[in-house]
Formats: sequence, structure tokens, C-alpha cells
Amino acid sequence: MEFKGDAVVAEDSRHGYFMKQALLMGEKALQSGETPVGCVLVHKDEIVGLGMNDTNRSMNGTRHAEFIAIAEMLQSYPRSALQSTDLYVTVEPCVMCASALKQYRIRSVYFGCANDRFGGTGGVLSLHSDSSIDPSYPVYGGLFEKEAIMLLRRFYIQENEKAPNPRPKKNRELNTRFENDNEEAPTTW
Amino acid sequence: MDVERTIRALKPLDGQVVPIRTVQETRPQEEFGDAFVAEVNVKSASKVIKAIDTAFPKDPSLPLSHLRRFAKREMLPPPLKAAIESQSVPLAAQTQTIFVLISPPLPDITTLKALLAPFAPNTAPAPITNEVPEEASHSDPLTPNIQLHPIKIPVCPPFNTTQAETWTKTLWPVVFNPAAPRSTVAPPPQTLKRAQESIEPRAGYYLSLARKVAEEAEQSGLGRGVGAVIVDPAIEEKITEADYGAGYDTTAEWDEAVLAVAGDARYSRSEAGAPSQAQLHAGVSPNPASKTYNADIEGGPELHALMRAVELVARWRREHDRLDGVPASTTTTDPLKSELEQPELSAFESYFLYRPRPGTSANVSNPPQSPSSPLKRKHNDSNPESDLTIDPSTDSSKSQLHPPLPAPPPSTVLLADSSTPATTLAAPRIRTRSQGGYLCTDLDVYLSHEPCLCCSMGMLLSRFRSVIFPRRGRLESGGLSSEPVVGPVPDELEPAAEADASAFDGQDERGYYGLHWRKELNWRALGFEFVEDGNVEMRSEAVMPVFHA
Repeated sequence: MEFKGDAVVAEDSRHGYFMKQALLMGEKALQSGETPVGCVLVHKDEIVGLGMNDTNRSMNGTRHAEFIAIAEMLQSYPRSALQSTDLYVTVEPCVMCASALKQYRIRSVYFGCANDRFGGTGGVLSLHSDSSIDPSYPVYGGLFEKEAIMLLRRFYIQENEKAPNPRPKKNRELNTRFENDNEEAPTTW
Repeated sequence: MDVERTIRALKPLDGQVVPIRTVQETRPQEEFGDAFVAEVNVKSASKVIKAIDTAFPKDPSLPLSHLRRFAKREMLPPPLKAAIESQSVPLAAQTQTIFVLISPPLPDITTLKALLAPFAPNTAPAPITNEVPEEASHSDPLTPNIQLHPIKIPVCPPFNTTQAETWTKTLWPVVFNPAAPRSTVAPPPQTLKRAQESIEPRAGYYLSLARKVAEEAEQSGLGRGVGAVIVDPAIEEKITEADYGAGYDTTAEWDEAVLAVAGDARYSRSEAGAPSQAQLHAGVSPNPASKTYNADIEGGPELHALMRAVELVARWRREHDRLDGVPASTTTTDPLKSELEQPELSAFESYFLYRPRPGTSANVSNPPQSPSSPLKRKHNDSNPESDLTIDPSTDSSKSQLHPPLPAPPPSTVLLADSSTPATTLAAPRIRTRSQGGYLCTDLDVYLSHEPCLCCSMGMLLSRFRSVIFPRRGRLESGGLSSEPVVGPVPDELEPAAEADASAFDGQDERGYYGLHWRKELNWRALGFEFVEDGNVEMRSEAVMPVFHA
């Protein structure tokens, strides 16, 4: 995986390491036929929760990677530990997860590519910074963005056999080009 | 059974189902675009339109059917009329003219002028006597000249006649069509109306049940007093048809359409092996943790009522797909132990999720059962609303002819080998995956309180058709309301009602997300509030701290 020299990563190479672990979880999701989104929760420089999207297997559309990782973390840590925990996730958290992370009082969120359909930390809404009964949290996007997008593209050229009406995608080719550095993720999630 | 007796004794809430407006409706973003107006010979009107439409293709994503394409001089908004008259070269006296709108995407001006030149009024072949002002001077008829007047036009259709009239008077003549699909800004009125009509008869019952479930959650000490009820409108429709035909009260069997209920369980989870809040305060209800909002002991949104109800439907389906022998991924044990940790189901929760199908139990307490069970679900009937979230750009009346869901196999086939061969008419309330069941597609969810932002989005991701909660259950942290509660209209206003409205003043600071229907999001649902009759609103939970429902 190429090191991007992203400002955040450059400042602290641990960010790159943790995002790579999140990407590996995304890869695992892809192998399991799930929308390839992966994440890790990092508490005191240690991975305390791993998550990947689990909506197809669980038949529950709300089982996103973030919730899976939090559930794993809470096996060994109290909820209050999330206040000193950072999330690394390959795709910007959706509105649901952005709100959940706020309720859980996550310390900060690092993500790969933006989510312009469901994003809750800048993509569509900005729940992380909106005033609410829980404090705001900082968000840093664009870490290994292209790798995160490629994961999604590899997923979306497949047909979704689980959907009620699978769309034929026989003639699709995997697009490996990036027109510019700020390219957004594919438009369907 | 105790639960059954409680259900029979439930009194429906009295009140009205009111659609929650979208944020775009409550705070219409008036977008204006640049356009041109040109005066042309009225005789060439149709040719002008043809020429423009051929030369400059329209942007299909920008429907401008609310704008009139032509306006007679007397129809021009006064400011535009004045501007045109101050700039225009007076016309040949006897030419009857009309003004055409050239709307975005705007072509190059030179091209446009060249295109329109043949239709300029001065080239009129056969002048007609009319009320054209007498003072018009004679200009050279051989020099066709078209004047383009820049104007601003409203890009989106008007929401009401007032807005249409205002624009007509100030910008350009605009048509208000109440039946026009307002694109993705608001649900199509006919879709909204149809859903509202299907929800109205039994909403009071389901919300009453949601409150009962909430009460149970609170009494158990497992959670806050919040409840959720998932209902299948397709089953409701069958009940209505069957009972109506038999002359019964179509609301008597309201509970037959309930697929699952769930209460809040935020205090039930043990974290890091420590006792849960419910265990710490065993036997105490309501749980002392609910007196304040302390994030550290709030469990998490996956333990909120709506999320739990969604998970119960998923859980039921996982269990039944296993029974159906659906192989592969569903049966593999997950290394991540990702299954949501759930407390023991409450009496209500297990009753509704696992109650026997009608016909399989002898002691049905409600006699009005038509010969052919109303619950025989015809799976090949598509839900009329099922097109709702598939593609917001399609006209709903059109897509109704093409139901997006494939017809699942008839339920009777599946039941033939089930444990109850005598009741081949019955079908499980929740459709399994092999029967085409997918998330909470086409279902309605009734809640005792306005769901938090997280649950509101969870509701969308679960593809619900509609979400309904009592106005009294609004919460500052909610994700669905789109505007503060305003008092009733003045002529209905009673002194008590006024006090009512002011009780909500504290909510003005909150964010109004109207998440059920946002044009920005990929999925949308219909949102309704239930406004209770009388002064019930006064009894709102004043002592309750703000929390996430």
C-alpha cells in the first residue's frame, strides 16, 4: 500500500498503520460479501475493537462496522473508555454512525474516503460538529482515500445477489483510474 | 395469557395523524437561476418553442414545468414589464407579440439571438390590428432584431399558491401544481395521502401499544420508557378487506399486523464484565440511572427501542432462514462475535415475535375471524408503497405498474412442510429472506418518542415505509421533527391550547433535522406525528431529562 504523505499521516505514522488495519478489515468484508467498510478503535495506541460491515449476514441494515467494533471493545472496556479512543474507518461514517459515535463520545475520527450519500461527518450532514447534548468531536478525512475507494469499486462491480432486484453488471470493468486527487467515492452505497 | 389480556384492554390514543414536513418545505431554499425573456411574434410562438427545444436540449435533472413558457405583455410582472419597456425599441404598431422564456441551461447569446431573429416581431409577415400602443414608431422591418432581457427565475417549483403568486408578480409567471411531484424535496402528495389513510385507522392502537412497551421497559429497570412497534401495512390491508367484507369493525384485529415490539434496554448491557446498570439496581424501577443524562451509563443507540425492534425482525429472519435450510454465510459462525448482545426478551417482545400464527392456536380471544383468515398473505401482491424508496425520480403512479420486488413464492408452498399441516392458510407474519423479506422494507414503525438521530438514520437504512410518533414524545435530541410546534390556527385557539404551545418553547434551540425525508440522502421514508386530542399535551414528561430515544 502506498504511503500518501497525507499531512495527518506524515505528522504521525501511527495513523497510517491503524488505517491500514481498517483497510484489512474492509478487505475481509469484501471477501465475505459485505459492503467493504472496515474500522478499528484505538485506545492508548492499541487496537481494542475491530469492525467490518455485517448487514448482509445479520440481515440487519444497521449493523455497520462501527457498531461491531464498539461491541467488541465493550467486552473488555467500559463505555467511558471511548472518550479516550479514536476511530479509524475506511469510509466516512454514515449519519447513523456519526450520531452513535457522538453519543458514545468518541475522541476523534479518521476516515479514508468521503460518503456523499450518507455521510454524517461532512458528507451530507455534519453531526460531529453540530451542537447537541453531546460534545463535538474532530474528524480527519482522506487517509488512504484511494485504497478505500478501490475497495468500494471492487465491491460495486459485483452483482448484489441478496438485493430483491439484482442489477446485471456483466459488462462493467473495474475503474482503476483517479481523475484527480479529490475524487469522491462512487455514488451508490 | 396476561399479555393478550393487556393488549385487548389497550385503549387507543385519540388524535390525528399529521405528516411531518420536510426541512425543505419548512425552510424552502429559494434558488434562482438566470434566464432570458425575448419578445416574439405571437404567430410564430409554436415555431419558437420548436426551434429552442431543438437547438438547446433541456437538463432533465432541472424540471422547469412550473414556469410558463410564454407571457403576454399584460401578464408580465410589473418590474420586468417596466424594464422591458424602458429598454425596448418601440415596435411596429400593428404587430401582436408575446414574450418567450429562455430558461437554463442558457445557450450562448449570439447563437440564441441568431436563432430567434426570424421570429422577431418586426419581421411579422401579416400585421394584425390590436391593442398595441399607438405611440409605437416604425422601425425598419427588414432588420430583424431580437432583444434579450435577462431575468431571474425560481429554479424549483413553488410549494403553494402564495409562493407562486409572489413569484408571478415579481419574477415570471409561475404555475402551482399541487399534484406535481416535488422531486425529492417532499414526498409526492398522493403517496403521502395514501400512506396517511392506511395509517390513520389503527395508529392510536399501535402508539398505545408502543407506550405500553415503553412502560414495560421502564418498569423492568432495563431501559428508559421508550417503546417501538413494527407493523406490516400489507397485513393491515388484508384485515381491512376481510373484515370489511364480513361487516366487522376493521380495527378490532389491529394487533394481527404487529410483527415485533421492543422496549429500550440501555441499562441491560454489561460492559467489561462489570454488572449492568440494571443489575446494579435490580428490583428498582424506574432505573435510577434514568433520572439524569450521564453518557457513561446510557448504554448505546443499538439498545434503543427502534434499533432493538429492527434487530428482532432480523433475528427472527436469521433463525427462520436457518430452519428453511438456507446455506452458506447465514450459518457460519462469525469470528468477530458480531451478533448484537441482547437482553432476554420481555413478555411483550417474545409474545409478538414468536406468537403462534393465527389458526395454530385454538384460544383466539377475538371472535370476529372471517372464514378465510385475513392473515393469509398474498405475497405476489406488491405493496402499493413499495416503490417509495426505490427511485425517487420515478413517478409513483407509473412504477406501481412495475412492482420492484419480484413475486416471492406463494406462502402455502413453504408452509406445506411446516409443523402445522392443518393450517395451510396461515403464513408467518415476517417474511423470510427466501420469501422476499428484506430488512424492514415497506413496514411502518410506531414509537412512543421521537427517535434520536442515530435511530432515525437506522430507520432509513432499514427501509421502513413510514415512521410515526406522538407529538408529546418529541425530544430535543430527536432526528425527525422539522420545525417547532406551532399553536393551532387562531380561530381554533383556546386559552389552554395556547399554554400548550408555549410548553414547547424550550425546543426552539434544538436542531430540526427532518431526517425521514432529506433530498440529500439515498433513502427516504414518510414521517408522521400523532397529535393527541384535548389537553393531553400538558402532561408531557416535564421532569424527564433530555436523552436519546
